[in-house]
Amino acid sequence: MSDIFSFNGSPNAGWSQPKPILSDSEILETIPKSMLRSSPPAWPRASEPELVRHYTWLSRRNFGIDTGFYPLGSCTMKHNPRVNEKIVNLPGIDRMHPLQPEHQIQGILSIFYEMQEMLAVCSGMDQVTLQPVAGAQGEFTAIRCIQEYHRERGEGHRNKVIVPDSAHGTNPASASMCGYDIIEIPSGDDGRIDLEALQSVVGDDTAAMMITNPSTLGVFEPEIARASEIVHSAGGQMYYDGANFNAIIGKTDPGLMGFDAVHYNLHKTFSQPHGGGGPGSGPIGVKKHLSRYLPSPLASRREITPNDSEGVGDGFWYSWISPEKTIGKVQQWHGNAGAVVRCWAFYRRYGRELERMSEHAVLNANYLRYKIMNPDNEVLSKIHAMPSDGAPTDFVMHEFTLSMIDMKNKVGVTGKDIAKRLLDYGVMAPTLYFPMIVPECLMIEPTETESKEVLDKFAKDFLNVLTEDPEIIKGAPYTTDVSRVDEVWAARNLILRHPGNNSE
Amino acid sequence: MDQLPNLGREHEMLSVMGLNSIDELFSNIPEEVRRKEPLPLPAPQSEEEIWRDAQHLLGSNVDLDSRPSFLSAGLSRNFVPTMVGMLATRGEFLTSYTPYQAEVSQGMLQAMWEFQTMISELVNLPISNVSMYDASTSAAEAITCAVRVHNKKAIQKDTIYVSELVPPHRMSVIENYVQGSGINLNILKHDKNGHLDINAAKIANGSCAVYVEQPNSFGILDEGLMQLKEIIGNNTALIVGVDAVSLGLVSPPGDWGADIVVGEGQPFGIGPTFGGPIYGIFACNDNYIRQMPGRIVGLTHDTNEQKAFTLTLSTREQHIRRHRATSNICSNETLIALMGAMHMSLLGPDGITVLSKRVAATTETTKKALLSIEGVELLHPNSSNFREFVIKVPGDSEKAIAFMDSKGVIAGFPLGLWWESHSSCILVGCDERTSDNDISSLVSVVNEWINEVMN
Repeated sequence: MSDIFSFNGSPNAGWSQPKPILSDSEILETIPKSMLRSSPPAWPRASEPELVRHYTWLSRRNFGIDTGFYPLGSCTMKHNPRVNEKIVNLPGIDRMHPLQPEHQIQGILSIFYEMQEMLAVCSGMDQVTLQPVAGAQGEFTAIRCIQEYHRERGEGHRNKVIVPDSAHGTNPASASMCGYDIIEIPSGDDGRIDLEALQSVVGDDTAAMMITNPSTLGVFEPEIARASEIVHSAGGQMYYDGANFNAIIGKTDPGLMGFDAVHYNLHKTFSQPHGGGGPGSGPIGVKKHLSRYLPSPLASRREITPNDSEGVGDGFWYSWISPEKTIGKVQQWHGNAGAVVRCWAFYRRYGRELERMSEHAVLNANYLRYKIMNPDNEVLSKIHAMPSDGAPTDFVMHEFTLSMIDMKNKVGVTGKDIAKRLLDYGVMAPTLYFPMIVPECLMIEPTETESKEVLDKFAKDFLNVLTEDPEIIKGAPYTTDVSRVDEVWAARNLILRHPGNNSE
Repeated sequence: MDQLPNLGREHEMLSVMGLNSIDELFSNIPEEVRRKEPLPLPAPQSEEEIWRDAQHLLGSNVDLDSRPSFLSAGLSRNFVPTMVGMLATRGEFLTSYTPYQAEVSQGMLQAMWEFQTMISELVNLPISNVSMYDASTSAAEAITCAVRVHNKKAIQKDTIYVSELVPPHRMSVIENYVQGSGINLNILKHDKNGHLDINAAKIANGSCAVYVEQPNSFGILDEGLMQLKEIIGNNTALIVGVDAVSLGLVSPPGDWGADIVVGEGQPFGIGPTFGGPIYGIFACNDNYIRQMPGRIVGLTHDTNEQKAFTLTLSTREQHIRRHRATSNICSNETLIALMGAMHMSLLGPDGITVLSKRVAATTETTKKALLSIEGVELLHPNSSNFREFVIKVPGDSEKAIAFMDSKGVIAGFPLGLWWESHSSCILVGCDERTSDNDISSLVSVVNEWINEVMN
């Protein structure tokens, strides 16, 4: 194994840089003696060739979309077009400071404006901010705006946020960070929203309901407009978790469903690379009555005048504006601008044809589900137990859930075992054990960027796993860089850093 | 549309399912919520057209490298080693997600464990997570974390103290994050030298947490902060925001009693990028580990007793603990932290020391050069500074900055935009790349401004 802390070259042997423009003694005079660091951090002493090899070695021990099929449900692991990476290396984004004056940033402001408008159009909202840097931060930001809305109306006593039991964990966590109590309502037997349960918990303490549609089961909630009516008639606000926005663009939108606020996961729908865990980007859109609370600033534009310096050539002058009752900042600057630019480049590839993207995401999910759920008889006869639908439905949207409970009951193979065995087939495992309401759940989202052949192969491999010797499945994976990892030992022993070689 | 491998094969796939049209797949969307009109957006573009438009739009921006620039205010006009971008954008890193499946994610997990080690070494605290969104969310979540840890024993319940010199945008993030927990946010004053009023800080003793910055937003290194832990006591968390680069030269807060250290990681790994994506550093001592936010990687072994890495302490997190989670953070800034780890490992212990000295040297040189101009004063003549310092100029500083901008120099940040009381002040920021030529250009435009105002 390549250990970065074993590199220990001589001082100054590593990466070179220019010398300071003052002598050491002059520099040391600028800092009080008692404040000087006694010894440098024990970082590795390595040359560039050693490090290039180390990080290349590490990269080869990591699985990305580029490596193979990545059906991680709820995460929308679609292909990341490479020109987007080239674009964000332009000095006009990489070498920009968020506090530069407006006349120096017309180009980036115009991209911000275009993205605000595009997201508003696709979601049926009136105003968008690009500042939140992750979906969870978008949720937090929107709930903060809703909180200020209620307070300004003298309804600050509304202290409850309703979430379905199938919600992403970030929903209750974000509302709770704003100070709200959480009411979790159970889903109906069919996995869909239970309107009676909703009706029974709304009241004059309801601040908002947070919901994902299509739901985390991958199923469209047909009664969504009715749910919005129930919450609105109690004086609450409707919040749309945009994690599954990839399924519906051009077909419907949260505005039509009655929502007041929505977040978008640009890293899901608009292809900001997931980067091993981030960066993401989580803009929010709101209806007019909430727009005065949005974080500051927003990109705005007016027609250019002769007094303005040169714009971008589209006849407009772009500037920052601050919403009247802004909640201020949730990120220090203007959000993940680099992600916004990448996603602008991605959106431009589709333009008004974004609807095709959603169609293909839904086509691929239904096709894969069909192939898994309808094996030919020869295969079927060898399968220990077929998966069952997480929620009964004729069609799913962009993803679907499978319960492996029958495999568990019949041969003692868990959803986790199956996930680990799939790794041996050269694919990433589906999302495991979410939503929590589906026993032994696997959540599969192929995305629109996978070919029919990839889907066929995955279905075949998946079904093949279900025919394998249960002991083989339980011992998986076998072909990966390490075999099954002991997570319990990690949590008990907490070795969270390299112990150091005490060579300093 | 070149992103869809099944374009033109829709019917082939639909017929397998016994369907005729894609519309059937959307039949569960009720008529009442259906979109009736096509999206009012422009036509699709090819990669070539997108690149052309990107070059045009981004090319119309004025980038910091195109002229002498002294604008810092929390970000660094750094130089990122070429290796960093090339290796971090390898597809296996770039296109992976949170390493839930450790067996096929050892690369990123190990890289993050190494990152944790390097941050731990930098600030001298035992534990680091794999990043927060930025320095401000790090500070805000450090505060809420400290309240969870200390509130039970605190004499001043739900109470924290924050330096008045925390810049307004960060203060605003902190306010948004703490307001929901009913936390009382109090302000600690600074004296006319820009140092924390250490006697007045006694008032924070018995509260849950104190948040200060070293250097502070005026770039001042404050020796007094090294006594702060003694003053506020053991049951009050000392949270220190740092300039990460300064720690090559300046004593790490872990050496003087800090319980949690936060800061902007951006100088290591990525350009200023218009403020994002960047990453927040979050490091703490053992007392905070079960209440800290964010992902964390631990060393363990596999079933063959081979060394292996995995995400750990997940029971703090939102996907398990839901509304009782320590934070809502899910997507974070891992890739940027990876770039930071690469940059830090290239620097090594000697390189970080040199880097830090370079910034200290340009700060001092620029300060002296400006002070030699008649009409320019330092706001804090007796302070030690790192990266930034504040000058007073005749007239309104926003106008001064605009004037100097028209002469081709980004002279700093007009502080009146943050604090009205400082409307004649400019926050001048230096970095390792500030050259003698940059400094001469700055001196020359400041002189021109003074002539302009005096006439």
